[in-house]
Amino acid sequence: MRRLSIGIMGLMALVFMATALAACGGGSSSAGSPTPNASPTGVVNITMWHGDLDYAAKADNTLVAQWNKANPNIQVKALYNGSNDYALQKTLTAIAGGKPPDITYLFGSWMANIAKSPKVVLLNELMANDPSFDWNDFWPAERLAATVNGKIVGLPALVDNLAIVYNKKLFDKAGLSYPTAQWTWDDFRAAAKKLTIPAQKQFGWAYPADASEDTVWHWEAMLWNYGGDILTPDNKQAAFNATPGVQALSILGDMATIDHSIYIDTTNTKIQQTFNNGHIGMLVTGPWDLPGFPNVQFGVQVMPANHQTISGPDNWVILNNGADRVNASWAFLKWFTGAKQQMYYDLQTGALPIRQSQQQQPVFQTYLTKYPGTDLFVKNMSNAVKARPTIPQYSKISTFLGQAIVSVLLGKADAKTALDQAAQQTNAALAVPGP
Amino acid sequence: MSLAPDSRARRALGSDHVAGWMFVAPAVVLIGVFGLVPIAWSAIMSFQANDLVSAPTWVGLANYQALAKDPAFMASVRHTLVYAALFVPLSVAGSLLVAWALNRKLRGVRFYRLAVFVPVVTSTVATGIIFLWLLDPVFGLVNYALSLVGLPEQGFLQDPNQALLCIVAMTVWGWLGFDVIIYLAALQGIPQELMEAAQIDGAGKWSSFLHVVLPFLRPATLFLVVWSTISALQLFDEIYVTTRGGPLGATTVIVFYLYQQAFQLFNAGYGAAIAYVLFLAILLITIIQLKVGGQRVYGKS
Repeated sequence: MRRLSIGIMGLMALVFMATALAACGGGSSSAGSPTPNASPTGVVNITMWHGDLDYAAKADNTLVAQWNKANPNIQVKALYNGSNDYALQKTLTAIAGGKPPDITYLFGSWMANIAKSPKVVLLNELMANDPSFDWNDFWPAERLAATVNGKIVGLPALVDNLAIVYNKKLFDKAGLSYPTAQWTWDDFRAAAKKLTIPAQKQFGWAYPADASEDTVWHWEAMLWNYGGDILTPDNKQAAFNATPGVQALSILGDMATIDHSIYIDTTNTKIQQTFNNGHIGMLVTGPWDLPGFPNVQFGVQVMPANHQTISGPDNWVILNNGADRVNASWAFLKWFTGAKQQMYYDLQTGALPIRQSQQQQPVFQTYLTKYPGTDLFVKNMSNAVKARPTIPQYSKISTFLGQAIVSVLLGKADAKTALDQAAQQTNAALAVPGP
Repeated sequence: MSLAPDSRARRALGSDHVAGWMFVAPAVVLIGVFGLVPIAWSAIMSFQANDLVSAPTWVGLANYQALAKDPAFMASVRHTLVYAALFVPLSVAGSLLVAWALNRKLRGVRFYRLAVFVPVVTSTVATGIIFLWLLDPVFGLVNYALSLVGLPEQGFLQDPNQALLCIVAMTVWGWLGFDVIIYLAALQGIPQELMEAAQIDGAGKWSSFLHVVLPFLRPATLFLVVWSTISALQLFDEIYVTTRGGPLGATTVIVFYLYQQAFQLFNAGYGAAIAYVLFLAILLITIIQLKVGGQRVYGKS
């Protein structure tokens, strides 16, 4: 119980020290780091923070080395940020300290928060002045998630989406035919019920129920399948407690408390392993989970009903260290997120293509063969038509929804009551005037 | 462990006090930067609306006023107090029993002592994962054992009414070894002559424990009660790696609520106010414990 709290204190100390250093840093140039803008030789040095390890970091470094060789005037240094989970705190600390990286990797859910920082370079103008850049080549969900109030805050770095991943053997044993694209959520429920065998500790579905955003985004996909929305179009009011939302949460609650066909993991730590051990018939999950299922012969199918899915895109954000470095960062990022470079990265890592045109790259077929199951996730990108609202209050709304969903899963509340309460809290949070 | 006033004065007058400060300077700087500065800094932040991104604004006592009216904070205080009220007596009394049992000349006693201490040096993450699986309602060994003897299966960490109790059990198990070591050291400091004298005076096992051993253990007990209380009020790691405050907030203790506010919802000013209330509460409780306990320890001896 001590170590992590010490970590928090350390973090606070870091924030403070960075501020203090910035205050007294003044004119003295610190050793080791290059001068802010172009050096006398005309070489611009920029730094990029990323959260990749192992083969992914190797792919990054290979690409960066390629760039550095071809562009002697813009030299890029790629640095590991320690973990993407803390990337926002570290970036903020670096901004407070006055020496932020030029490019930093940030989760999509942080865009509304980081957009408030005056250090963030908005990309609208850079894109408008650059005819060689095709913003629309990125998937719609990526573009929505990178945009806050019309301001484009980042360039897509990684993308994923949710689909049904099912255990073929358990379907065969139960005499069920595999999920089809024609499925409704009622079909899903019926199959889950047939796949549930209490004596063998076998469940039709597993649901992460720690009330975190992981709990919430799974349900948001269901909400969209039922034709609902999270908020009203003006982002002023909750919309999730209308009929579609109540239907989507009711079926989840019925599966959990009437059919008992859901393995409820309130700690959200055991689902992957349980599926890999053959105790779960179906999961709703993304491509990142697939390498964790070596013991299961799995199939992948799109979400039921209208097939709409939810996508969690992460972004590269450019921070302002002077015009030269901003321009250099833009030039590099444009190249780095290009179709050819990204296809190389995806082939090494199994990540989904961030650009639609990557499908025309020659190695795309090799990539699909190398990573079984990915082809459906790539096709599924076009089903990610909606995005979570990019407003600073979303993290709060997510906690309200998380509590509502878990209380229904555990049979402590009915869907309508739980959603109405969450909507009340959401409307109150949205009514507070923001900065 | 403060120095007596006269010896402190002598030190200060001595010519070597500069050298003394030089020797402790690295430690003083480290403690200052990573201990005192954050304490001061969070005091400042607690009077601000601060989201760690935009420029902070001064809000006076608004964070503290909001805290007083925040039902979620009150719930976290309640959970923390319930936890501490169970954890402290269970771990202190439990460790005394275990230390008493291990303070004998048994065959293989070193092995038992080691076994008791192993959980302390095991990482919290590992402990957490072991308990997550042991207490899993469907696949867990504990429920399997219950079903073997015909008892109903339990929800454990999945049941809002049981989750906090499971955390108590897990942390008592995890930290018992530390308390046992302290008690063992204290037990071995009891002079053998005293025990013999008590026996000659006709005291049985129980009454010599009560009247000879327990009074001797008071300093150790005071230390353990203060230490365990502080640890209990700062509970975080075990919650973070297992329940994440759930299910339905049943294990959201003060420090976890602070973490959620400051680092998930970006209300850093509000989080700092929580930290400060907790800091003052711990200070107050510790002073009371030392006052009450200290009289007992030193008053009689």
